[in-house]
Amino acid sequence: MSTANFTVPTVTHAASNAGDLVEKVTVQNLDFYYGDHRALKDINVSLYHGKVTAFIGPSGCGKSTLLRVLNRMYDLYPHQRATGHVRLDNDDILAPSQDLNLLRAKVGMVFQKPTPFPMTIYENIAFGIRLYEKLPKSELDDRVKHALARAALWDEVKDKLGASGLSLSGGQQQRLCIARTVAVRPEVILFDEPCSALDPISTAKIEELIDELKEDYTIAIVTHNMQQAARVSDFTAFMYLGEMVEYGDTTRMFTTPTDRRTQDYITGRFG
Amino acid sequence: MVDVAFQSGSAVSVAEQVDRAKVLQKLRLGDAAFRHLTRAAAVTVLVILSGIIFSLVYGAWPALQKFGFNFLIEESWNPVTEHFGAIAPIYGTIVTSLIAMLIAVPVGLFIALFLTELCPLWLRRPVGIAIELLAGIPSIIYGIWGLFVFAPFLQQHVQPFLIAAFGNVPVLSTLFEGPPYGIGILTAGLILAIMVLPFITSISRDVFEAVPPVLKEAAYGLGCTTWEVARYVVLPFTRVGVIGGVMLALGRALGETMAVTFVIGNAHRISGSILAPGTTISATIANEFTEAVGDLYTSSLIALGLILFVITFIVLAFARLMLMRLNARLGT
Amino acid sequence: MAIMISGASSPLYASRRRKNGITMTLAYLATGFGLTWLALILGVLFWEGFSGLSLRVFTEMTPPPGAAGGLLNPIIGSLVMTFIAVLIGTPLGVLAGTYLAEYGRHDKLSTVVRFINDILLSAPSIVVGLFVYEIMVAQMGHFSGWAGSVALAVIVVPVVVRTTEDMLTLVPDTLREAAASIGLPRSLMIAKVAYRAARAGMITGVLLAIARISGETAPLLFTALNNQFWTNDMNAPVSSLPVVIFQFALSPYKDWQELAWTGALIITLAVLALSITARFLGGQSKKS
Repeated sequence: MSTANFTVPTVTHAASNAGDLVEKVTVQNLDFYYGDHRALKDINVSLYHGKVTAFIGPSGCGKSTLLRVLNRMYDLYPHQRATGHVRLDNDDILAPSQDLNLLRAKVGMVFQKPTPFPMTIYENIAFGIRLYEKLPKSELDDRVKHALARAALWDEVKDKLGASGLSLSGGQQQRLCIARTVAVRPEVILFDEPCSALDPISTAKIEELIDELKEDYTIAIVTHNMQQAARVSDFTAFMYLGEMVEYGDTTRMFTTPTDRRTQDYITGRFG
Repeated sequence: MVDVAFQSGSAVSVAEQVDRAKVLQKLRLGDAAFRHLTRAAAVTVLVILSGIIFSLVYGAWPALQKFGFNFLIEESWNPVTEHFGAIAPIYGTIVTSLIAMLIAVPVGLFIALFLTELCPLWLRRPVGIAIELLAGIPSIIYGIWGLFVFAPFLQQHVQPFLIAAFGNVPVLSTLFEGPPYGIGILTAGLILAIMVLPFITSISRDVFEAVPPVLKEAAYGLGCTTWEVARYVVLPFTRVGVIGGVMLALGRALGETMAVTFVIGNAHRISGSILAPGTTISATIANEFTEAVGDLYTSSLIALGLILFVITFIVLAFARLMLMRLNARLGT
Repeated sequence: MAIMISGASSPLYASRRRKNGITMTLAYLATGFGLTWLALILGVLFWEGFSGLSLRVFTEMTPPPGAAGGLLNPIIGSLVMTFIAVLIGTPLGVLAGTYLAEYGRHDKLSTVVRFINDILLSAPSIVVGLFVYEIMVAQMGHFSGWAGSVALAVIVVPVVVRTTEDMLTLVPDTLREAAASIGLPRSLMIAKVAYRAARAGMITGVLLAIARISGETAPLLFTALNNQFWTNDMNAPVSSLPVVIFQFALSPYKDWQELAWTGALIITLAVLALSITARFLGGQSKKS
């Protein structure tokens, strides 16, 4: 895919010295509570620019919860709170003064089930762009096209941009949602089990897409599927009962895990 | 019999088999009877509807025959000369309902928005329950309050102000012309607005709550504000449901009798001013039916009822179709 | 092409926030506005109604203008007519609802009945009054308590049909299958299993129907009419609370107007009590 026309989102750290890891999101001593229930216990983890970090673990281990802390999605619901430190660059995500709209523009999210808005394909993309930029029609068209191309969907929908987003297949809808997220020009993209509702072919396409997107973004993905984690991620974090059991380079995690529980999980002994 | 069954263990004796067959036969008959009974009851619902239509058409026939189409367009309503036309009550019915919807729809939608998106959880249930209880308060209560409290208040404090403020503005001066009676079209419309407000709120809250949370999260995830989520995701998603709810409330407003009869003024004329007294179909029937002398007078009132039924039937049928479409969408 | 995502200071973002602020304020105001009116209505009702409330209201007949009296005859009239209406309307509604939920869940008849029933649910009640006037009052030649009861029954039926169907639909199919697997015929399964499982919800429906008709005025105006005196004869005009309120409120006499307020309070309290009980029962049926 040609990215010549694409502007890389601003990154405060210089990403020029390739090879060096640039810390984009830092989580320190994070605890999370649903009412009185402590769902995350003292989590420490970092997400790096240009890298994919996978969160794996059995159901209810807190991996989705962690993701929802990173864009403060939990704020929509009462009785949910987080303590500790989560920073995006040098900005404190958990600060009460944090502007949630702007935070979420910087930290995009793709959900388990495709969530096209009840509007046309074109509007689904343009909607997000218009939130942040006032563009002339032609430029907006370009941006929509670019976002759809980035999500490898342009060729499939270019003749029916006026059709409802709901008319697409499940896999296409999910790529539409990725395009919508990309169009807002986030710095971080969170994928919450993006393929669990999709067939294998659509899954392969999304994985390919994640691989392409990581050049420009910081990506976190929650997945049930260990093969998927092994395929797409650079770093893997294994979580169990709200704790971060082990975290490290994906290849190392899958070949020589240090913790017994990690080993049991990735060899399929539980989960 | 029981003893035999016990003695012979699990096997069923011949005599018992005969017995069982009899019992089963009886049960089967009972079964069929019950089935037909329920079916007959279901058909009764249709019979009621056709009964209503038939009896109204039958009762209205003399008037419809005498006046024909003119009944729908003439303003005169004269029991002495026995000349009747329905346009004034039709006009009053529609205008009062329009005023009511103009106020109740935006307010109701905003309250529903408050309840689903803004209201703290501990307050959500009490406010929700309060609104539902208020939807159940009989309309005669709104009527008596309108007559004794609201109409005098409007007469003394609001209407003089309206007349003074818009007196020199073209169009509006006609709309707010004449002495402040207190009772009249505007008052009836406002009472109706207060009355249908709980309906609209409660239905729109229900349909707003039917929006999948993940869809709203996706919008919040893009950085949308609460208003943007409501305007661009919740409303489009629930549009048919909201329209259905609004139509349902409109159906109520059009057919409402008691809340209106007290404060409408019962004047059979069409005035350009909404401060003037007027009448609605239901108020006319309620006020005049028992005192109507002469078959033609009674028949004309029943013809009014027929018109009202046709209008509300169309509105309500449309409302139901809309709500069915929303449910079909949520089902898939 | 500009690179920057608009920050907190961008005019576009500021206008979005302003719009959000305005609309959210409107939502608060709308709620306050709506609740204020409703509180005003109830406040005045309680204020005016309570001042006239005394034992006499429940023990004396409606007075002629200028004399003292109570609301005994309309209260009894309302109770009796409501009772008969429920007696007629409930079995009919329950049976029809049973057909919709159990026998003909997807057949054409059910679809039509469901649709028509939903329309009758919100049809203007004054039209129901005209209908019963035509089929009963005009035929018999006089107004009567029976006609009033039938008019109210016509309003009860759709409410009960709707709740019965809803509640029976909530009964899990596994329960039906379990009953069928021990050889219980359909009708017994419905009577012994489904009705029992849905009982609380169905009672809720009946209570809501009672709440609905206890304030209905329009359908009684020209069916039961009104009666200044006590009557045991359902064949004669019977007075009812809502009609008396209507008549007294519109009269020029102060005493009558006060009684109207008191009557309005009694109806409202009854309706609120019924709705709250229904809600309580309904909440329980959902839990179990």
